[in-house]
Amino acid sequence: MTASPFEIEIPRGRVIEVQRDDTRVRRGGGLLRGMAVVWKHWKESFKLNRSYSQIHGTFTIEYPEERPRIPEAYRNMPILLYDDETGHELCTSCFQCERICPPQVIHMTQAKDPATGKPVPAVAEFIIEYDACMSCGFCAEVCPFDAIKMDHEFELSTDDHTQLTVHKEQLLRPISYYAKIAPTMWAEVRESALKKLQGNIRRRPDVIGLAPQLTEKIAARRAELAAQAAQAAAAAPVAPAAAPAPAEGRKLTPEEKAAKLAAIRAAKAAQAGESATPAEAAPATPSPTPAGEAAPPADKAAKLAAIRAANAAKKAAAGEAPATPPAAPDASAAETTPSAAPPSDKAARLAAIRAANAAKKAAAGEAPATPPATPAGGTAADAPADAPPAAPPSDKAARLAAIRAANAAKKQQSGDGS
Amino acid sequence: MLQTQELQVNIGPQHPSTHGVFRMLVTVDGETVVDLKPVFGYLHRNHEQIAEANSYLQNMPYTDRLDYFNSMANNHAYAMAVERLAGIEVPERAEYIRVLMVELTRILNHASAVGFMINDMGAWQTPLAFGMREREKILDLFEMASGARLMCNYFRFGGVVRDLPPEFIPNLRELLRALPAYIDELERLLRDNEILLQRAIGIGILPPEVALSYGVSGPVLRGSGIPYDVRKAEPYSVYDRFDFDVPVGKVGDVYDRFLVRIEEMRQSKRIIEQVLEQLPDAKGGHINPKARQNVRPPVGDAYARIESPKGELGFYLVSDGSTRPYRYKVRAPSFINLTPLADMCRGYKVADIVVILGSIDIVMGEVDR
Amino acid sequence: MYDMLAALINGALGWGWPEWALNLLSYILIVTIVLVVAPLQMLFFTYYERRVIARMQDRVGPNRVGPEGIWQPIADGVKMFTKEDIVPQAADRIVHFLAPCVVVAPTVLMFAVVPWGPGMVPVDLPTGLLFFFAISSISAVGLMMAGWASNNKFSLLGAMRAVAQMVSYEIPAVLSLIAIVMIVGSLSINEIIAYQTGLIISNRDLPGIPDLGLGWFVFTPVGFVAFIAFFIAALAEGERTPFDIPEADSEIVAGYMTEYSGMKFGLFYLAQYVLNFLLCAITAIIFFGGWQGPGVGWLYAQGITPDNPNGNGLFNVLAGVLGVFYFLLKTYIFFFVMVWLRGAFPRLRIDQLMDFGWKFLIPLTLANLFSAALWVAFTRWGPAEGMLITVGWSPVLRWLAAFVVTLAINLGVYLWLTRVYAASQAERRRAELEELSAAA
Repeated sequence: MTASPFEIEIPRGRVIEVQRDDTRVRRGGGLLRGMAVVWKHWKESFKLNRSYSQIHGTFTIEYPEERPRIPEAYRNMPILLYDDETGHELCTSCFQCERICPPQVIHMTQAKDPATGKPVPAVAEFIIEYDACMSCGFCAEVCPFDAIKMDHEFELSTDDHTQLTVHKEQLLRPISYYAKIAPTMWAEVRESALKKLQGNIRRRPDVIGLAPQLTEKIAARRAELAAQAAQAAAAAPVAPAAAPAPAEGRKLTPEEKAAKLAAIRAAKAAQAGESATPAEAAPATPSPTPAGEAAPPADKAAKLAAIRAANAAKKAAAGEAPATPPAAPDASAAETTPSAAPPSDKAARLAAIRAANAAKKAAAGEAPATPPATPAGGTAADAPADAPPAAPPSDKAARLAAIRAANAAKKQQSGDGS
Repeated sequence: MLQTQELQVNIGPQHPSTHGVFRMLVTVDGETVVDLKPVFGYLHRNHEQIAEANSYLQNMPYTDRLDYFNSMANNHAYAMAVERLAGIEVPERAEYIRVLMVELTRILNHASAVGFMINDMGAWQTPLAFGMREREKILDLFEMASGARLMCNYFRFGGVVRDLPPEFIPNLRELLRALPAYIDELERLLRDNEILLQRAIGIGILPPEVALSYGVSGPVLRGSGIPYDVRKAEPYSVYDRFDFDVPVGKVGDVYDRFLVRIEEMRQSKRIIEQVLEQLPDAKGGHINPKARQNVRPPVGDAYARIESPKGELGFYLVSDGSTRPYRYKVRAPSFINLTPLADMCRGYKVADIVVILGSIDIVMGEVDR
Repeated sequence: MYDMLAALINGALGWGWPEWALNLLSYILIVTIVLVVAPLQMLFFTYYERRVIARMQDRVGPNRVGPEGIWQPIADGVKMFTKEDIVPQAADRIVHFLAPCVVVAPTVLMFAVVPWGPGMVPVDLPTGLLFFFAISSISAVGLMMAGWASNNKFSLLGAMRAVAQMVSYEIPAVLSLIAIVMIVGSLSINEIIAYQTGLIISNRDLPGIPDLGLGWFVFTPVGFVAFIAFFIAALAEGERTPFDIPEADSEIVAGYMTEYSGMKFGLFYLAQYVLNFLLCAITAIIFFGGWQGPGVGWLYAQGITPDNPNGNGLFNVLAGVLGVFYFLLKTYIFFFVMVWLRGAFPRLRIDQLMDFGWKFLIPLTLANLFSAALWVAFTRWGPAEGMLITVGWSPVLRWLAAFVVTLAINLGVYLWLTRVYAASQAERRRAELEELSAAA
């Protein structure tokens, strides 16, 4: 073949023809040599083979008992990080990962300030479809805030396909977790990531951006916010004066409204004492906004209803005379939510009804829209406090109460308007 | 003469040794193959069309899935094509890392390809298990560097995604120390094995003229005696800085391809040793810091080819100036090496078909894109 | 068994049963034992094979079900029983159903003549060896039935291969055994075992050798060549690598078993492993003395035997235990070799297998037959038979002469045959290539 027309110049190196001898008479020596190799392997297989320079020995890793050392760079599925200290998520919902994702399995919505409706650098909902994820790691690469990282956990098998659509709560891991599985990779980005996070925290109002499973952190943050608001209320005598003002002018800016709510909450906090436990803190949120934030994502509808109710109440309070169109969905939402509530928290429901009644009465009694908020809020807040055993589910009930109160106020208001 | 009836047998698409979903419509006279018609397309997944809907970077993980044994080689070819299209410079160190990874890929591919071929010959997994063990060790290294064993997704435009971790080089050196002993052992197990010789010598002969006319490349072409290797014919990356030889076969049968693969593993080891020598002096980092990953190449086209373990792997890209390739074409070596299958099988026995198929070393992910 | 029962019931207990009752009871017991032992051996063999071959491949093998995975075969059996039994629509249902039974029955019947220990043979047929191989050929019918009834091309190809292979390889197997039969002068398996007493050299050839039960045939050139030839043929008979062509999974899926599932498939599996056990056992018996080993003969002589009715029954038990231990040890070692071969080698092609059988193995065994005749002539014949050279030689000299002559003949034939065989293969390849290029 060498003299064939296929002669090709090879720079730096030779063309070597393989050694073979087809005509040699063979007498089974090759078979015996092969058997000797296999025998050697059998003999040595009672030792383990765990090093790169070993060619004999059992290579198997007996998986559940014994696990291979996973290298730092290993990437399996993406996870989201939150800060251990502040409880804030690193994600700012910049949509970079959603855009780069080759199989397009990342979905997110940006958080909005409930008061202003403006986007906030935090993520409201974050979904990754693990079943279609190809573990390419692009999302972790492009993330400018180092919020999304690749996990080392690989035992994800489940018999329920819906489990593979993973929501934010399941995605969130503390930074300390990631720093443990990938110390050097985290050390490289640690400084800048935390710096960026501090910047973002300053732009996040209320409890937005806090990891939802950290109830203590959220409660503490609320208490802190309330304390700040109370200080503000005490410092500025404008706040009490603001209350009659809308009664006349019916002009309540959102800021003022928020301040007022904060003031109410502060009063409540003062009532309950500074050592507000989460169970108490949750009912202490008659205002729809925080209730919505504290809601687990499962009852999104309820959250939505609360937000809408709040908005409606706000509008009604602002005295816009025409009846607000979303009244109907409000009602339906408000009615569907009780059925979703577990029957055990009767007390909470009772409180809700009581709150609603109080709101109605108050609305009927006094023409101006704003005062009702105070009794309604107060009653709703007091009612669950009467029934402490039903504390965890009662935050739903409290929200419900708020919605009802808001609806009642709106009805009243629209009745007045018409 | 006895009158015999010809029998049509479908080997595949579900068959233990068609290396995936591949069908061979075989007409046999007794045990002798009269005709063979390869039927593919069972694993078609619209790879090229999907690529035209993706941005350039998003295609990188998809190239992993072409020839899932050699994701590093696929990445290399694709990255080179995009770099040519967009005019991105690659630092020297990144080039060395790339060569290192692709040569490791070649070793793992040939080790397992030999194992699979002997498995098709009927050995009960032992050569395959030995090949797979070596492959596992190399995959461990890949995992260290890239984070994944198979779907490495390690290359980026202008370099590689991250530098080699500190434990990589010592482990690689350990592996290289054991590699000659490993290759020798594989040879001792198989090379003079009388049964393997019976099954391999004179089987599936592919004459050089036929091989050329079909456009066959890689070890199959070299097994037929033509010393064509893209690394030598058109040195890309930094291959012109290494000394290595090109093994060729004499006859072009299954045995020659087997021997060529064994020898190529040795040559790859030589290249890796030279890479390790030259790597510390290489300039630049692991990636060109100026290279944007979200490339928007100017209007034009580019073709890049490399010597992938299975043959000449090429990517042809046409850009219309947007962030997505206007046309994306893969020249997949497995597919082209598979085309002369009928010529190679005609006249041999049914049992030889699978051995010939195994000696071509195909991956259906690459054949049906 | 009969002797022991007679001694126990009529002797020790003094019940005075008639002979037919004793016979009936002993056969019922034997059949029960055989029918229990055969599947147990198969279960053990599947586990044993998987563990050994895993070790050869640097793996661990099944080690999850029970301690060290010992219950794995039980789990597999349960799986087999619970699987759906699928019969293809186009299959011949009756033949499809019968085929596994036809394959399994002869393998169980073959147990009838296998001696497990001294005096522990179900039926001591004077033509035991003939029975063994005659019965084993019947399973070829079952394989053909399975292949034909499945109405599947792979099944048919597999069955054709299986039958062709079994028929061809029975010839070298039997020819290699005939050499031993000539030396022993009997087809009885018990006789063959009884011949293999002594130490390296059999007691019958050279009286006065201490009896350690090690006078195995494999130590003679005739026996060694016969052993190699027989073992290769046994691999082909038992469809073991490198001759597992009928069920070559990489070519014809699973051969004649392709269309079988559930317990029918399990029966094929059972038959195959039981056959492997029996082939290993018969190799151990014929060439490695079966239960013969140091101490068994002496222990047995102390026990109750037809020659020594006043012996101690305890020694019977001891001899039996030791004998069965030796026998199973040898059998398992041969199965280890089978697994070892499976771990090391690819398989041959069907035509190459035929070539090897007809052009290499049969000539070799025929030459070995000639050597066996010379062996008999040198060690036993005298002037009466016309063997005048050895007149006056001592038994040692006769034995040595026989050894040297047969060794020379066998070695020469082996070397010559390899050369001739290689030449014929090269010629065949050349002819094939010519044919190919002519066709192209």
